[in-house]
Amino acid sequence: MVKNRVSMEGSLAVAEAAKLARTDVVAAYPITPQTHIVERLAQLVADGELDANYIPVESEHSAMSACLGSSAVGARTFTATAGQGLELMHEVLFVASSSRLPIVMVVANRALSGPLSVWGDHSDVMAARDCGWIQIFAENVQQAFDLVICAFRIGEDPTVLFPVMVNIDGFHLSHVIEPLYLLCQEEVDKFLPPYKYPYALNPDKPVSIGAFGMPNIYTEAKKSQDMALRASKNVILKTWQEFGKLSGRNYLPVETYKVEDAEVLLLTMGSFSETAMIAIDALRERGEKVGLIRLRLWRPFPLEEFQKAVAKAKLIIVLDRALSFGRPTGPVCSEVQAALYPLKTKPEIVSFVGGLGGRDISAATFENIIRNGMEKAKSGRFDELEMIEVRQ
Amino acid sequence: MKDTTIEIRWHGRGGQGAVTSAELIAMAAIAEGEYAQAFPSFGPERRGAPVLAFNRIDNANPIRARSSVINPDIVAVLDPGLLYITDVVSGLKQNGTLIVNSPKSLVDIKSEFGGPWKLAVVNATAIARELLGVNIVNTTMLGAVVKATGIIKMESLVEPIEERFGARAKRNIDACAKAYKEAEIAEPVAVRARQKREFQVEKWPAWQELLPGCVVIEAGSASQYRTGDWKSQHPESDYSKCIKCGLCYIYCPEGCIVPKLGEEGFFEADMYYCKGCGICAQECPKDVITMVEES
Repeated sequence: MVKNRVSMEGSLAVAEAAKLARTDVVAAYPITPQTHIVERLAQLVADGELDANYIPVESEHSAMSACLGSSAVGARTFTATAGQGLELMHEVLFVASSSRLPIVMVVANRALSGPLSVWGDHSDVMAARDCGWIQIFAENVQQAFDLVICAFRIGEDPTVLFPVMVNIDGFHLSHVIEPLYLLCQEEVDKFLPPYKYPYALNPDKPVSIGAFGMPNIYTEAKKSQDMALRASKNVILKTWQEFGKLSGRNYLPVETYKVEDAEVLLLTMGSFSETAMIAIDALRERGEKVGLIRLRLWRPFPLEEFQKAVAKAKLIIVLDRALSFGRPTGPVCSEVQAALYPLKTKPEIVSFVGGLGGRDISAATFENIIRNGMEKAKSGRFDELEMIEVRQ
Repeated sequence: MKDTTIEIRWHGRGGQGAVTSAELIAMAAIAEGEYAQAFPSFGPERRGAPVLAFNRIDNANPIRARSSVINPDIVAVLDPGLLYITDVVSGLKQNGTLIVNSPKSLVDIKSEFGGPWKLAVVNATAIARELLGVNIVNTTMLGAVVKATGIIKMESLVEPIEERFGARAKRNIDACAKAYKEAEIAEPVAVRARQKREFQVEKWPAWQELLPGCVVIEAGSASQYRTGDWKSQHPESDYSKCIKCGLCYIYCPEGCIVPKLGEEGFFEADMYYCKGCGICAQECPKDVITMVEES
């Protein structure tokens, strides 16, 4: 048996990561499918295994508001939510990012009402896409654990100071039990130094956070925020490199699978990516030059890495797990289009939407998506967004 | 397309009704069949703080511009104190018109603020105090603006004023008419260059200079804020009547009344911060303090 190899549910792995990070404050409101994360943290605090304040708030809006306060006094702050809960936080998300408070939040991605759905898709995070947080996607329980630990170090870096959202697919990751390599406390302590917020609220050294901005300062404030978020990519890269040295597990903003010589790329995000790999393997065995590309880092958008990764492909097939109602493509696909538009030579793009509200996508369906996408490209049908496996 | 738009910039203080002046002008012009717009400089409303309002009037074409007026044809100044803290003639066109509320004579104002523009002076504060009982000069100033520019007809203002002021309309119309009668006008001084004046220029940081989250690390930085620029009156004290009770010091909402330097037990207001609210004068049991108009 390998040292530190355990079986653990995704939610508990996330809670374990927050515990190993020595989180000071957890303010959260339980919501399916995030519930196990915060239940576990509440238990750890109650049992004295985690020396933290657990604030049982009355709503997600209050959860994020409490996180603002605790992060601003310099406490390492963690929360988790899902679906409607993320949307109820919405206005406060912007305050957290513009105030540059490095809160770490796990979102157990869930569809938005209605019809009311507790099951997974990416509607929640896509609706919060422009809230100014660093946004990262995990594909399995191990990554969920690793990326939460990295999230604290990234967000708290004095040159970054941004809140970080780690997305794990609701149920598919939050409720799955998988093998997990844990890190020990000493390793995490070495990797993650204590949080020291340079502008912490302190009666002995007063500061004002969240001041009013007239038209003659607001634009500069936004430029400063945007430039800092873009620049955070360097720290993200460095942090993941160092984490790779510690754990042997390496993360990149844009990750690829069998893309050498690939003419057709499927683009996915989150836990369905591993299922998609099975389809890639099957098609490769049949001689198709196909590969998989995954956006691990969603914000800041890894523009250079993405452009480089797809430069040689002829076709990109994008699978969105959310709709942008009334738009020509899904939210990820429109970003892909925008990222590639300035290039002189670029792959063509086909857009699919699927996996909504907890509907599975099997490896066989991924094969169909790829074949269908290639067919559409051949016949020049690039202008339509297609929803997969929809009854008609 | 020939530019047929006449632009007006109103300088006033929060509470003096510059926005109402602009609105009434626009309503009158629209009633005359012209194209017109009125809008304020949007911002937090603070009584006494310098504010701007704008008009555009066009007898030929619909108005499309929605940005602030930078190069006005007409500038109207509702508060004499603003002349010394704001560059009211900034961007004023050659042969434009400057209309000023001041107790000073046309000759005196001309020597200070004359230039290649028509100049009109009226003591609107005195008229408003006499006919309306308050220092709100918006309707009064309209009379001077109409006389100096002819931008609209006086009778076109009657209906908008009645609509806006109801029972108080008659007095406001009278004040407007009195200002029309009393305003004194001087033609542009063609050869005279604009006088150089130094105004406090606000300096704003570049984006690179901002701290993360725009955090303010300097405690008490609000003390740099010159709220003294908001006043249209200031307190003057006759210390021979003062009993050193300190009630002015206690009641001052700005906390700007401080012990008078070198004179044990007396108090005085710090003009850097005094907003001219008059509470000290109201509360003084011995009538030591009188509020005097800024001029």
